[in-house]
Amino acid sequence: MKPQDAKVCVIRIEGTNCEDEMANAFSMLGAQAEKVHLKQLTGQAPAALRRSLEDYDILAFPGGFSAGDYVRAGAIFAARIRAAIGGDVKRFVESGKPVIGVCNGFQILVELGLLPAMEQTMTDAPTAALYNNDSGRFECRPTVLRNDNRGKCLFTSEIPSKALLSIPSAHAEGKLLSNDPDFVQKLEDNDQVVFRYVCPDGSDAVYPWNPNGSPSDIAGICNPAGNVLGMMPHPERVMTRFTHADWTRGYSSEIGDGRAIFESAMKYLEKL
Amino acid sequence: MADLMKKRDVPFPLYEVGLLAATDDELMQVSRDMSLSLSLDEMKVIRDYFKKEGRDPTDVELQSLGQAWSEHCCYKSSKPILKEFVFGIDRDDVLSRGDAGVMVFDDDYGYALRIESHNHPSAIEPYGGAATGIGGILRDVVCMGAQPIGLADPLCFGPIDRKGELPPGIKHPRYLVNGVVSGIRDYGNRVGIPTITGGFFFDEKYTGNCLVNVACLGIVKRKDLAKNYAGGPGEVMILIGGRTGRDGIHGVNFASADLTATSDEDSRGAVQLGDPITKEPVMHACFEVNEKHLITGMKDLGGGGLSCVIGEMALDAGCGADVDLEKVPLKEPGLAPWEIWVSESQERMMCTCKPENVDAVLEIFDMWDVLAVPVAKTTDLKRTRLFWDGEPIFDMDLEFLTGGPVYNRPYSMPIVSSKEREEFPELPSDREVILALLSDLNVASKEWAIRQYDHEVRASTAIHPMVGEMNETGPGDASVLIPVPGSVRGLAAAIGCNPWFTEADPYKGGMACIDETCRNLVAVGARPNAFTDCLNFGNPEKPERLGEFREAVRGLGEIARELDIPIPSGNVSLYNEAPGGHHILPTPMILGCGIIPDVRKAVTADFKKSGSCIFLIGRTRDEMGASLLFRKFGGKEGAVPAVDIPALKRITDELLSAMDEGIVLSCHDCSDGGIAVAVAEMCISGQVGAEIDMSGIDLPLQRALYSESCTRWIAEVDGKDVTRFTEIMGGDATLLGITKGAGLHIKDNGTRIPLEEMRAAWNDPIWNIMGGGKQ
Repeated sequence: MKPQDAKVCVIRIEGTNCEDEMANAFSMLGAQAEKVHLKQLTGQAPAALRRSLEDYDILAFPGGFSAGDYVRAGAIFAARIRAAIGGDVKRFVESGKPVIGVCNGFQILVELGLLPAMEQTMTDAPTAALYNNDSGRFECRPTVLRNDNRGKCLFTSEIPSKALLSIPSAHAEGKLLSNDPDFVQKLEDNDQVVFRYVCPDGSDAVYPWNPNGSPSDIAGICNPAGNVLGMMPHPERVMTRFTHADWTRGYSSEIGDGRAIFESAMKYLEKL
Repeated sequence: MADLMKKRDVPFPLYEVGLLAATDDELMQVSRDMSLSLSLDEMKVIRDYFKKEGRDPTDVELQSLGQAWSEHCCYKSSKPILKEFVFGIDRDDVLSRGDAGVMVFDDDYGYALRIESHNHPSAIEPYGGAATGIGGILRDVVCMGAQPIGLADPLCFGPIDRKGELPPGIKHPRYLVNGVVSGIRDYGNRVGIPTITGGFFFDEKYTGNCLVNVACLGIVKRKDLAKNYAGGPGEVMILIGGRTGRDGIHGVNFASADLTATSDEDSRGAVQLGDPITKEPVMHACFEVNEKHLITGMKDLGGGGLSCVIGEMALDAGCGADVDLEKVPLKEPGLAPWEIWVSESQERMMCTCKPENVDAVLEIFDMWDVLAVPVAKTTDLKRTRLFWDGEPIFDMDLEFLTGGPVYNRPYSMPIVSSKEREEFPELPSDREVILALLSDLNVASKEWAIRQYDHEVRASTAIHPMVGEMNETGPGDASVLIPVPGSVRGLAAAIGCNPWFTEADPYKGGMACIDETCRNLVAVGARPNAFTDCLNFGNPEKPERLGEFREAVRGLGEIARELDIPIPSGNVSLYNEAPGGHHILPTPMILGCGIIPDVRKAVTADFKKSGSCIFLIGRTRDEMGASLLFRKFGGKEGAVPAVDIPALKRITDELLSAMDEGIVLSCHDCSDGGIAVAVAEMCISGQVGAEIDMSGIDLPLQRALYSESCTRWIAEVDGKDVTRFTEIMGGDATLLGITKGAGLHIKDNGTRIPLEEMRAAWNDPIWNIMGGGKQ
């Protein structure tokens, strides 16, 4: 599939607020990105606006504060999706199409049971959660990620192993926790760890380089099949060098560090 | 009083007020008992009007006048002064002076800008007051059809480390700061608009009356620029968004009087409740109906609620309006008509459309689950008429209602700070002075707040509020956005304000605020393009306070006119006084916008490397009045920095052309704490030291180091570019030294301060007081 044929569904409800830049990130690579309200997928919209999830090739969950996030982040959006189109979403994932969730989108994927989803495509209940940052505050700051995936995740296929990417974070709840004491080891075993926070020199992150206290510095994970990626930092905010926090201190390329993640997804579709 | 209020025999609460037969005392009693905040003279004018109408007014009509004639709504004290000095700076690229100003951005787009105050609500309820301030300023931009792209929040408080007893009814500044920052964070982050700049100003004089100013920038396709009024008679007015409740009643009257010791209990109901998750879809839906050109006009419900928006939207179109008030969706049943009419409940907008487009408009709002209800029609009669289930309850001439009084109140000229009476303070070593200035709350790092605000959402922030090495940053001058994806054209935004200068010499201070705004914009490589101002002053009924206002406005009007930079929007906030008549520092808060044709040429304030040349741009004069040094160490009087406007214009051109050639590595505005603090800050953000020699400045060393003369910058230039740089700058650049080592070294007297000591002095103070981790 050529990039211009790829249809991207950027899903939103009230309080989703990173949909413009998410759609733009895909558009920059030539894809047809459409911002789609959940109501358009559930038949609650006028006929001309109704959409079907299966017509899309990529599903993207943007950041924001869906429905205000006045309860656990992402929980309300996830509950609405599950109730109305849970089966469609599950089939979408099982068909192997790329699904990405960033920030609130990651929180929604976890609440939906699409991540970490170790045992099945979509668990009935969440098996992990994104907890409050250790600092107790919303943290908007630069973070550096290392690609720790060994090849499973389709969103890092164009990124060298162990490469460092400067991708900013902005969240209050980003600490990935699970009741399972072997959670991190299992993620490792399944090659589900995608990104870890590190210091700029690549050494283990300490606060603020790990902005939330996530165990093992985990910033992003994928499902066992590798087609669903959830990450707290925002790759769509750094598609060019000129929205990075420190570009005036010198740069070698005008391409931003976030772009490779979207390119990887497009490359994956090209092979289909 | 009871005798004056006569219940009309209708099945809802409606009173007729016996004004026609009322005595002067009774008129004032009505004004007080109904919380109208109207003077006796104003009440008499109203009585005369109803005499001509041949009937007594209803409570709805009187309440409506109380709103429309408040200082907040009709600028009755400030208008003559604004007219004299700041109105009418016209340029072809002003696209609109509506609820927000709109300027040309490029051939296809305009950018919107607006600032306003939410001071009194925030003093009572800091979280809700600040949050609804953000909500209100967003609506001002949205109703131009513009997508909000950036928020800016300059805030003024008493010292957050303040000890000792507080005046009655006053909340501790630390509590207020925490509440206000949380309110901005929770509203701004949720609604998804980056908070890109702002400022904190700390002074004891703000303890009794904090200032919460909120500003917003937006971007709009020029073909979609919306009007804030109806298209003509026979149109439908549709109320959009939140329901109407008892929150926010008499907000404008509350904003138009001094705070009192009991404001907390009396006026909590005047503070509205914000709901960003209603706002967010309201914005989407408003843009959609506007882009499809289904509506003729759009306006937000702010001060005065329905009572203001309906009249203004109709009158500006040369129309009147008939309103079916019972159709307004309510939060709770049982509101009296007057309460519905003046409530300032949040998240509401009004749009007007042709009758044939109503269904299409309602369908779009329904798609977004946003409440939208037709409540009124425009008429060809210049009157507002209200009905409740058909019963007429209000019928007034619109020009009378919205005309409002105008006052030329008496003022006295301020006595300004002078060089002759100057007392220069005893100073410790320069090392101690510089560390003390860096750790002053007004200079120290505001990272505690900045990182709680999402300043990158929408992915268009090119220059961030903090600059330098990641997570080792220092202060920036202006933030820069890339409003149009795919373009490299940048929009810079910066705050400029020096309330201490303005107190010591309002005229010079007003000018200095504009100069500082320009400096901040130019420091990142942007050409100043427009200003929006929020004029926060004291009680205009006191001649000294009005004198300060007048002189400050004269100063900023004169410089803006001379620079030919328009002020297409603005806001006046008077009566900023605490119990006991303690007034604030006169605070003309300026938000400036600048354009940078290619953001890739933007410059930041962090020193980039060791071995570069450091230049001072502009002239340092013996102007110590109201300087941070004097405030910190007890200096008295002194000359307040003046602005040499031709020099500002010339140097702006020179610096921008040097930046365009790419030979300025870093640049920082020279302000609080003078050259010493500016250079120290550049060391902190750049992680490199500096060796400077002040002998090129013809002043005693301490005056040279700490004078806060206007129109100055510090710039870093690579050795190979020095010849070209000095050629461009003419005589306006003085070599100060070089970047070198791991600290600040002042060669004149051998002062040395290690970088890490400067960083700690600057970084830690606010973190230590507000709590939380450090960088």
